[in-house]
Amino acid sequence: MANYLMRRALLDAVRIPACARAVASSGVSELGKIGNREWVGYGFNGQPNYVDRAEFPLPAVRFRPETPDVKALREKEKGDWRKLTLEEKKALYRVSFCQTFAEFQAPTGEWKGVLGWGLFIASFSVWIYMAMKLFVYSPLPESLKEENQKAQLRRMLDLKVNPVDGLASKWDYENNRWK
Amino acid sequence: MLKSASGALANVLKRSLVPAARVTAVVPLRRSHGGPVESDEEFDSRYEAFFNRKDIDGWEIRKGMNDLCGMDLVPDPKIIKAALHACRRVNDYALAVRFIEACKDKCGPKVTEIYPYIIQEIKPTLTELGIETPEELGYDKPELALENVYEM
Repeated sequence: MANYLMRRALLDAVRIPACARAVASSGVSELGKIGNREWVGYGFNGQPNYVDRAEFPLPAVRFRPETPDVKALREKEKGDWRKLTLEEKKALYRVSFCQTFAEFQAPTGEWKGVLGWGLFIASFSVWIYMAMKLFVYSPLPESLKEENQKAQLRRMLDLKVNPVDGLASKWDYENNRWK
Repeated sequence: MLKSASGALANVLKRSLVPAARVTAVVPLRRSHGGPVESDEEFDSRYEAFFNRKDIDGWEIRKGMNDLCGMDLVPDPKIIKAALHACRRVNDYALAVRFIEACKDKCGPKVTEIYPYIIQEIKPTLTELGIETPEELGYDKPELALENVYEM
């Protein structure tokens, strides 16, 4: 019995139509989102959606819902287009589309903020280095002071380090200076 | 001996039955692999015929235009003209302006060379139907700003 009920439940779950499942999983269907906008073309995933994109310039729905004045304008559009005023033509464009090509391709200037914040955050590495220098690292060893370095070089010359083609070969031992 | 004789006989028969012109026509036109290659003229006339269909609707016009915009080409002026007439038949002014804008965008870096040519070619159609170019509508520069949806 339990087995049978389980099977029924699974079958019922599978049998829900695809559109209803989309509603159930996402909460709102795309068709529900467009309200009384006109669905005029094939959109992304075959759904009625609106995006301004240069490579897909004609989205699936008109941008504005069908209000009475839009309907009146569209009735007027059925007549001679030469009799429409420029304002009406622009209004008709905005009924169908949200932004013009020039508008959605306009530079946003976002790169300036990105670059600025990037450099600002990168400058923290300098502060971290300075803090390390102050609070973490011990002072540099004595052997890095100039007189100690000089003494070390003198010692190497005295020991005749690498006399064939290295350090000692460049030192003139008779006149006590570099060759 | 018999074979060569019958072969010669078949040749004579074939020559007498099949006209010479048809024999040359048998030579395959396409010697390349892959599918048949459509010439540019065939492509243009195919799309022109598509937009010239009397019973075309807005859905099909959008499909054709979106397809054209997805290809590596700038539509020929005669395709654009046919598309504008199709827009007139379905009474969609915005579609016509949007398609001209899209064709301008398709010109890419050569917009100063190709776009004036397109406008020059389709100008009679534009005046006939009463369609303004995007420039005449002021759409060559951004007109309205859109609030960022993440900052509303």
